[in-house]
Amino acid sequence: MSDNRLTQTDVSLNKPVADLVNVKINGVDVKVPKGENLIESARRIGVDVPYFCYHPRLSKGDAANCRMCLVEVAMTGPDGSVRKMPKPQAACTMPAAEGMVVETETPAIVKDRRGILEFLLINHPLDCPVCDRGGECPLQNNTLFYGPPTSRYIEEKRHLPKAYPLSDHVVFDRERCIHCARCTRFTEDISGDSQLGFLKRGADMEVGTFARTEYHSKFSGNVIELCPVGALLSRNYRFKARPWDLMTQRSICSVCSNGCNLKLDYRVEQIQRVNARLNEDVNEEWTCDRGKFGHDYVSSPDRLRTPLIKRDNSWHPISWTEAYDTLVGKLQAAGSRVAGIGGAKGSNEDAFVFQKLFREVLKSGNLDHRLGRYQGPSSAPLLDYFGHNGMGNSIAELEKMKTILVLGSDLSSEQPIIFLRARKAWRFNGANVINALDRKIEDTTNTGDFASVNLIYKPGTEIALLSGLLHILFAKKLVGSDSPANIALEKSFASWTPEKTSAETGVSAADLEKAAYLLAVSPAAVIAGSTITNHPDYVDIAAVLGGLMSVTGNESNVNVPVTECNAQGAADMGVLPDSGPGYTVPATKGLNTGEILAAAESGKIEALWIVGADLAKDYFDPEAAKRALENCPFIVINEMFLTETASMADLILPIASVAEKDGTYTSCERRIQRFYRAFELSDNIKPDWLIFSEIAEKLGADAPYFSARDIWRDIMAAAPTHSAISLKSLGEAGIRWQYPGELNAVDTADAV
Amino acid sequence: MAILNLLFATRNVPGIENIDVAEAHGIYKGVRKAVTMERQAVIDEIKASGLRGRGGAGFPTWIKWNGLPKNYTAPHYVICNADEGEPGTYKDRELMLKQAHTLVEGMIIAGYATYSKVGYIYIRGEYVEPAWQVRKAIDQAYKAGYLGKNILGVDGFDFDLHIHMGAGSYECGEESALMSSLMGERGNPRLKFPHAPLPTVEGVWKSPTLINNVETYCAAGWIIANGSENYAKLGTERSKGTKIISVSGHIRRPANYEVEMGTPLLDLITEAGGVIGGGLKAVVPGGSSVQIVPADRLGPINLDYESCGANGTLLGSGGFMVFNDRTDIVLLMKRTSEFYAHESCGKCTPCREGTRWLFKILDRITSGGGRDGDIELLLNVCSNIDGRSYCGLGDAAAWPIVGAIKAFRPEFEYWIKYKKSPVGASALPPSPEVVNPLLLQAAAAHG
Repeated sequence: MSDNRLTQTDVSLNKPVADLVNVKINGVDVKVPKGENLIESARRIGVDVPYFCYHPRLSKGDAANCRMCLVEVAMTGPDGSVRKMPKPQAACTMPAAEGMVVETETPAIVKDRRGILEFLLINHPLDCPVCDRGGECPLQNNTLFYGPPTSRYIEEKRHLPKAYPLSDHVVFDRERCIHCARCTRFTEDISGDSQLGFLKRGADMEVGTFARTEYHSKFSGNVIELCPVGALLSRNYRFKARPWDLMTQRSICSVCSNGCNLKLDYRVEQIQRVNARLNEDVNEEWTCDRGKFGHDYVSSPDRLRTPLIKRDNSWHPISWTEAYDTLVGKLQAAGSRVAGIGGAKGSNEDAFVFQKLFREVLKSGNLDHRLGRYQGPSSAPLLDYFGHNGMGNSIAELEKMKTILVLGSDLSSEQPIIFLRARKAWRFNGANVINALDRKIEDTTNTGDFASVNLIYKPGTEIALLSGLLHILFAKKLVGSDSPANIALEKSFASWTPEKTSAETGVSAADLEKAAYLLAVSPAAVIAGSTITNHPDYVDIAAVLGGLMSVTGNESNVNVPVTECNAQGAADMGVLPDSGPGYTVPATKGLNTGEILAAAESGKIEALWIVGADLAKDYFDPEAAKRALENCPFIVINEMFLTETASMADLILPIASVAEKDGTYTSCERRIQRFYRAFELSDNIKPDWLIFSEIAEKLGADAPYFSARDIWRDIMAAAPTHSAISLKSLGEAGIRWQYPGELNAVDTADAV
Repeated sequence: MAILNLLFATRNVPGIENIDVAEAHGIYKGVRKAVTMERQAVIDEIKASGLRGRGGAGFPTWIKWNGLPKNYTAPHYVICNADEGEPGTYKDRELMLKQAHTLVEGMIIAGYATYSKVGYIYIRGEYVEPAWQVRKAIDQAYKAGYLGKNILGVDGFDFDLHIHMGAGSYECGEESALMSSLMGERGNPRLKFPHAPLPTVEGVWKSPTLINNVETYCAAGWIIANGSENYAKLGTERSKGTKIISVSGHIRRPANYEVEMGTPLLDLITEAGGVIGGGLKAVVPGGSSVQIVPADRLGPINLDYESCGANGTLLGSGGFMVFNDRTDIVLLMKRTSEFYAHESCGKCTPCREGTRWLFKILDRITSGGGRDGDIELLLNVCSNIDGRSYCGLGDAAAWPIVGAIKAFRPEFEYWIKYKKSPVGASALPPSPEVVNPLLLQAAAAHG
């Protein structure tokens, strides 16, 4: 893929700088950053300049095409004389300069706006009554405020296909398009797949893909939200509802661990569509397609709506009373021979009550949420080296990095929103990205496309690769070797010459050297992916990585994000065999996932409680999981669907989805964020925490929890990491909980 | 009559396309002289000559040359705009076809003066034969040591010249769209100063870029070879030298005429053999984008930037089109508007939608569907395009229609009222034979 930094949509043109300049807008004097566009400057004093094509997150090279934001501009000369520019200027690209005098409401501008809207409307179909955008359409709104009252156009309107299928998700109404180039700029500036562009020219110009191929993208849903008219449409949502008939609830994406803020738009008990909710610290205003289109499951007809019990190898619906009776009986019979697996997909509250039930009522520490290969001590391998688990940086900090090493990760698939930040760092802030992976990925968009250097190593040679990089850092004197620690490191990696590393990994010595030079800057960050965390030598890789990042002073910028929605939260809440809520040391340690499954296989576990985990499919060793499931005498599972694992259980308890309960998730960057109940699918479905809580009561514990908020109070009391974080303090953006003594990486980055 | 063949001095010399003949006739003398001068002195020489851009806008050439950084720390580019697309203009075609060495010489001088090492000639896609000649000239210039490394033995003066063929879009003659196209992007215009840096600061590939017309480079070569004072003594006070005028239309001897700036317009018509097929009705002096001038107002116009401007039209690129009195101005404007609607790149709203609308209105009028108020509608639509579009193409589409209505309003009124050509059955271009009955009905229904 080409180097997008050299294209027409140049992002660096007139970047605002810190200097302030004096401009006068509609007679009001205001100080604004030099080079800021006039739409933003006008907004500072409450003056709205209407626009269609402008978007603050998209580059301006292809903006200024709708001409809706024309304003009159004059320049004050050094002698105080004011010289008006002969033509009106597009405010969205006009950089503020000292002495600029701007008028946005003159009779000429009013006429211009009317003229532009008339031009846009002459070929616009005006099928607003059946348009998804009707009611939330910038073209409708601007016409109301600035448009002509009648049409002078008696010619035939343009007729084009109304439902051109760009992809499985995106339908294109070509008649409605106003050619603002927001979608084409998005694919070039943000997602990076560069798939949408303009075909033909003049009034025949249309948005399309090369050779009319399918629009393949991991982020295509965003263009639907960016479209200022109803031209780009969601296939799921088309003709489903009028915007004003929708109820909206604030939510958090439950598909991956990045914690995107979402708006669930629903009617009755059906999610109609999912839109991004602004959070500058997380997803800005983007979503990935898995998040935007992946919430169909909530309203799926296949959802389990009643408890099921297996009798004679077939499923029978039963009441909750009967289900609880069965379950309590089995748990009491099993005694301490019980175990629980899962919790990485539920809320923090679910996870907390889950471990509380096991540790305090069932008196068992056999608990684990981890399905991956690494199931060792929760303090290893990262916490020991870096002082933090998971991510050392927040997602937003990544865009300030000068170098980002993406290690062993198919980043755009594994962590789509982190991928967008890394790409933003490269495209808008000039960062260098190093892509180190054991395979080449043929994909619509990925880090390899824009990486300054691609280190494609032989599978399994991560340690050799990192050792070789460390060697070059010392050999080329890119880092000091004065401290005792560094002297020791230099010695221990002395044998990893570029020649040896190259032979071992298959990466050329020149590429290794280039990467080493890029890594010898600060701030530099590493994002490691599943190839690393599922590596049999994960602990050793982390050790070498620790050396590499510490010699360049970047040890706080190591990021190993979890992948499941609330895996971070489940760990924080103590769904681990060796640590309780907030990483406190529990009274008794229990078995980890692998040990539980082995014990279940050999009949040592009488009752296994699986919480929203499809072990037969998602466990890193599915065969081992299946053997355990077959041999365990009693399995109860909390599930929404009849998964492969659920079908091997004995009792299924139907649970609420993210849309049907309140709670909090903790994203991979340790950001605690609230989500809210939108609707109730069926009163026969319960959130996990309520099930655990009611069972605990039946087993003799205290009164159950009544709400997720009750539970949060107990979380604050039990988890030292969370003690200062009240639900109220989470606010709109959520809060990252910090390790004691953790460096604040933002300050570190700024100080450099 | 001031026909002055400066640039065209050797256009009829047999074998002038060969470098030895060209050298024998004084071409490349300018390069030999330039490399003995300080680079700034070359620019000063251009400044002293008063040369202004021959592409149409008439911007002082030396300001562009002087705007590039005065050292070589990053690539600089010299670009020749040979995407001659303005209807009525064919001067660059003949220059490249017959005087390709003159162009190559001018670009080498520009490269020397601006510390550039690479030049591109962006040639219109249809100009296959001219491109062949330029190709031949470049190849010969390399062999003769005028191109390549250490040119003429000057240490560190390297210059490579490349040809880039356009793909047939009028818009790519607009300099910023040309640069987009040259870089392999869609031929769309780019942001201009003050929205973005000037091309001399950031042009192609974010590097300082000099972009001039074919005729400008040719003139620059002549100026260096023959001295700025000899150029500056020609022409008027502010329009110096000569201008090549491409004469076409109802004229006896259509051809390129190189005239001294300030030559009376009517003299050129006489020189070209006079109007044929009828009396003189109007002239478009500078390509289809400029305003048409009726015969009775041609008298005071001289062929220079100031005189044309003062008389409500422009010298433009020198596409000089003569119309006799059988010409139907409304049909002419319909054809003109069709051209601009077809050539709009589609980037901005006023041009994309407005040019098509103008054509549809004119098409309706000339199909017998004209309505009262159409003239005001045309003028109003033009005013919503002019000055509001992203680049000059929108302005260029609006000006001729405004000018035609100003000069020939009764003809528009005649078409609207009587649904036929005021010039009669022998109108040029011929009237459409079939009148759309639906449009007639519509017109009747709307009164």
